[in-house]
Amino acid sequence: MNYEQYPLREQLAGAYVVGTLRGRARIRFERSCTASQSLRVAVRRWEDQLMPLLRDLVPVTPSARVWERISQRTKSGTAAAGRRAPWRWALAGALALSLLVYVSIRSIYPPYQVVAALGQDKVHPVWNVSRSEDSHSLSIRALQHVESNPQLAYELWALPRNGKPPVSLGLLPRSGSIKRALTTSQQAALLNSDHLAVSLEPSGGSPTGSPTGPVLMVGDVRAPS
Amino acid sequence: MSMPEPDNAELERLLARCARQEHRALEELYKALSPLLLALLLRMLRSKELAEDALQDVFVGVWRQAGQFDAQRGRALAWITSIARYRAIDMQRGRKHWVGLEAAAESAAPPARTESTLTQRALQRCLSLLTGDQRHCLVLAYQQGLTQDEIAVSMGHPLGTVKSWVRRGLSSLRECLGS
Repeated sequence: MNYEQYPLREQLAGAYVVGTLRGRARIRFERSCTASQSLRVAVRRWEDQLMPLLRDLVPVTPSARVWERISQRTKSGTAAAGRRAPWRWALAGALALSLLVYVSIRSIYPPYQVVAALGQDKVHPVWNVSRSEDSHSLSIRALQHVESNPQLAYELWALPRNGKPPVSLGLLPRSGSIKRALTTSQQAALLNSDHLAVSLEPSGGSPTGSPTGPVLMVGDVRAPS
Repeated sequence: MSMPEPDNAELERLLARCARQEHRALEELYKALSPLLLALLLRMLRSKELAEDALQDVFVGVWRQAGQFDAQRGRALAWITSIARYRAIDMQRGRKHWVGLEAAAESAAPPARTESTLTQRALQRCLSLLTGDQRHCLVLAYQQGLTQDEIAVSMGHPLGTVKSWVRRGLSSLRECLGS
């Protein structure tokens, strides 16, 4: 579908802002917005023009616990990035080493198949995601060096086709490639998904278990050959 | 809004400070906007618990995304209320039909108070050019967060009719508001 043409673009942007665009169509539209300036402009225009409909709201004071939770969630994010205990690095190093040993044993065989290429468009993928034949592990390769604020991270999600919430498949590398064993629930989610998505999250990944930042890209999952 | 409308220039300054990770600015933003945003979320989610959860996510999101806010003048409030509305729509995914749809339909009304700014006058004039059904559908969806299925149930009309009212309402609005 060509979202760029005027009447369709305005219909979709309007339906997105009003909220009648739902489900998959909503996700598809969000994905198109990340790549299209004219769609983003159309959305902003609707947002601005419809905002007077919120004028008759009668303010309601939230419970004190709401700010307490926000404060915890926002402070812990910045503090953790600043002073991470040295032992955690050591642990991460050991883990990487054991993963490397595991992977080099496995790499005698060619067990990985490409599952999805993720990027702003199909011509310039940023990450290639592959899975092992037994679906027990993922291999992710950054095809370009990915610039980012050190306080932010890119997180990979499986979007199950049964409408269940996204399942995290872990953080994406900024360069090079990584291999990662999948838990049983991640394996199931990947097998039941037609799409993978990338969201922008605080360093260390989403604190809630669901995407909290903007969804930057969505890619189709290729069926195993 | 029934409280003094927050000043966009001040909100923009607070967002810029949030982007620099000044936690104090987030607190000020929360004081200024949380009662308004909670009212908005309650109207869409109809549960204090859900609305307060959403409110948390909205401010955590604003804190993290403040650096990405491109300060087009006068847009700060639209940006933040949109984050809140989209969060509410996402949280509605997979829910059952709401109870009390009729009450929702009754409370949805086009903005009645005397409008002051150009945008408000333009929207009111353009909404008044729609048919009553078209206007009602758009206002229910926007203010109450109802899906087209739910609007069809609450208005007692077939889904296809509601979809066509929404579609025509949006194109008349776009034509009238100008692009």
